[in-house]
Amino acid sequence: MSGHGDFAGASSGHENDSGARTERDVVADGDATELLSEDLAISYPATDEPIVECETVVLPAGEITAIVGPNGSGKSTLLKAMAHQLSPDSGQVLLDGERVQSFGSKRLARELGLLSQENDSPGTFTVEDLAYHGRYPHRGFFDSLSAEDHEAVDRAIDLAGVEHLRDTEMANLSGGQKQLAWIAMILAQDTDVLLLDEPTTFLDLHHQLRVMEVVRTLNDEAGVTVGIVLHDVGQAARFADNIVAMSDGEPYDWGPPVDVVTEDLLRAVFQVEASVDAEGDTGPHIAPHHAIDE
Amino acid sequence: MAGEAGHPGETRPGSEYGGRWYDRRLFGLCLGSLLVVVAGALVQVRYGSFDMTLGQAWSAVFAPEVILDGQAWRAMLLGPDVPYLGAEFPEGVGRRPLIVWTIRMPRVFVGVLVGMSLAVSGAIFQAVTRNELASPFVLGVSSGAGLAILLTLVLFSSLTAFLPLFAAVGGAVAFVLVYAIAWKGGTSPVRLVLAGVVVNMVFQSLQRGLFFFADDLGIVRSALSWITGSLTGVEWPEFRIIAIPTIVAMILALAGARQLNVLLLGSETAKSLGMRVERMRFLLSGVAILAATASVAVAGIIGFFGLVVPHVVRLVVGSDYRRLVVGCLFAGPALMVVADVGARLFLLAIGQGPAQIPVGVVTGVVGGPYFLYLMRRKQNVGDI
Repeated sequence: MSGHGDFAGASSGHENDSGARTERDVVADGDATELLSEDLAISYPATDEPIVECETVVLPAGEITAIVGPNGSGKSTLLKAMAHQLSPDSGQVLLDGERVQSFGSKRLARELGLLSQENDSPGTFTVEDLAYHGRYPHRGFFDSLSAEDHEAVDRAIDLAGVEHLRDTEMANLSGGQKQLAWIAMILAQDTDVLLLDEPTTFLDLHHQLRVMEVVRTLNDEAGVTVGIVLHDVGQAARFADNIVAMSDGEPYDWGPPVDVVTEDLLRAVFQVEASVDAEGDTGPHIAPHHAIDE
Repeated sequence: MAGEAGHPGETRPGSEYGGRWYDRRLFGLCLGSLLVVVAGALVQVRYGSFDMTLGQAWSAVFAPEVILDGQAWRAMLLGPDVPYLGAEFPEGVGRRPLIVWTIRMPRVFVGVLVGMSLAVSGAIFQAVTRNELASPFVLGVSSGAGLAILLTLVLFSSLTAFLPLFAAVGGAVAFVLVYAIAWKGGTSPVRLVLAGVVVNMVFQSLQRGLFFFADDLGIVRSALSWITGSLTGVEWPEFRIIAIPTIVAMILALAGARQLNVLLLGSETAKSLGMRVERMRFLLSGVAILAATASVAVAGIIGFFGLVVPHVVRLVVGSDYRRLVVGCLFAGPALMVVADVGARLFLLAIGQGPAQIPVGVVTGVVGGPYFLYLMRRKQNVGDI
């Protein structure tokens, strides 16, 4: 199965879209940051063949890009490589045109934040304690907290909607509340690019929407460039500006949800027979029917 | 919720709490520990083969001819010889201050330093490996030091004067070995602990083998007391060995507390926050080794202490290392002084004469069951 999209060209072909998006592009033209990967090949020590091979993947400045795909399609691996957590065998990742390798580790962490799929913190840390850890890349070894740190943490806790849980210990939170606390931490990191690895998986519907709304707000208000791996194509179709559909370690298609989320794609990539209502006002709606035998 | 953003000037409840690391429980723990140290010290000073009344002990400790005498302090803290025993002893110092300040007080001081360095060392190793079961001894430091001690005593007995140094080097080498075995493009907590177990097993077998080469019972006895961990007979020279490395390690541990907290979030998160995780793990392990080997060098291998004390402190102040390290700095000395009171006076108290038990036996006998109790109480042991 090979990709049929022209990914290098796709990034230029989608600038004029809906009215809301044009507004966001204004922010993008200002100081928003673009994350671009070129000719990536990533493998794990245990494998010979690369797990992920892609020519060009762009997270356009100031937009939300969702990476979707079936289990094992390499979407998390791609995200980790773009966050410089994995070193690719070949290819490069560019943050506003500069190779991520050339950033110092703390400087990169001030520009780019990554929330991993599974997070674990000591149960006695409070939500506020956790949020303050987001300030790590902004502080030197002996620096004490500055007014800027306090403000960033207050803002992050507020934006993540966990003000009422501020002094609650992590052990006493539900799964959804924990995820919002982690989101508060990564918001306190105050980065231009935010990468989230399946932040809504395992959450109840309420908290899934909460997380996605926080991401949307952050993108709207601060022009943060977001790359987000999502399990749920419907959710991606609803919240993302762009979707990258991964299949067998390669991007299968790339573009705005209305173009990418089609019945053909669901059949080819997800092996699902479904009907798609592309006219929905919150993005394409998917009604899955049944799995296709392989 | 989004609408509430953008009021930075507004005062919020708890906003001044941000970054404040001390609280009432920590304060209580420290104060309580200090009182225990003082009480333990008084007991140590008062009782022994030369008994005093409490008043005599008190006035001997605060004997002005010692504590107001700069020369006496210089002799005690800087050496080079066992201070003013005999001829060098200043005129007018009574017999009690002499015993107290040459034998009993230095033992308390060394106990304090050993207690804090073992406790903090264990706390650091637990954060670095993200494993509550880690301790300086699980990670090979103890068996390495023990092997070095036995090698020195049994095979190179002419070099006994360098025993503390060899012990420290042996501990450090063993840890590096453990780290190297666990390294596979990076380390993981589980691999570190497993490598430690393997290295411990091999080194302990070698130790047992070496016992068969010992010439006389005296050497076996001395080797045993090193391997069990003992404060018997420590005086000012031992204090001078342990003081500086301990103080340096404690300062570094306090400074590194925030880094330890970030490590507790897991290596992925730490890395995405911009920490160079492997380098930080190695540096902090270095601090923990410095502390642990300093204590091994004067007191031998005191088991269970570095494992249990951080647990006890964690129960009181939580996992935040800014509190935990400070808590260990106080609780470690308190528990060590108490354990040493038991080690020194137990046989005397039950009328079995002046012999002493090694303090490592006390910490093992008390610490082991207490650790079991903690294990039963908690749902999942292992995760911090």
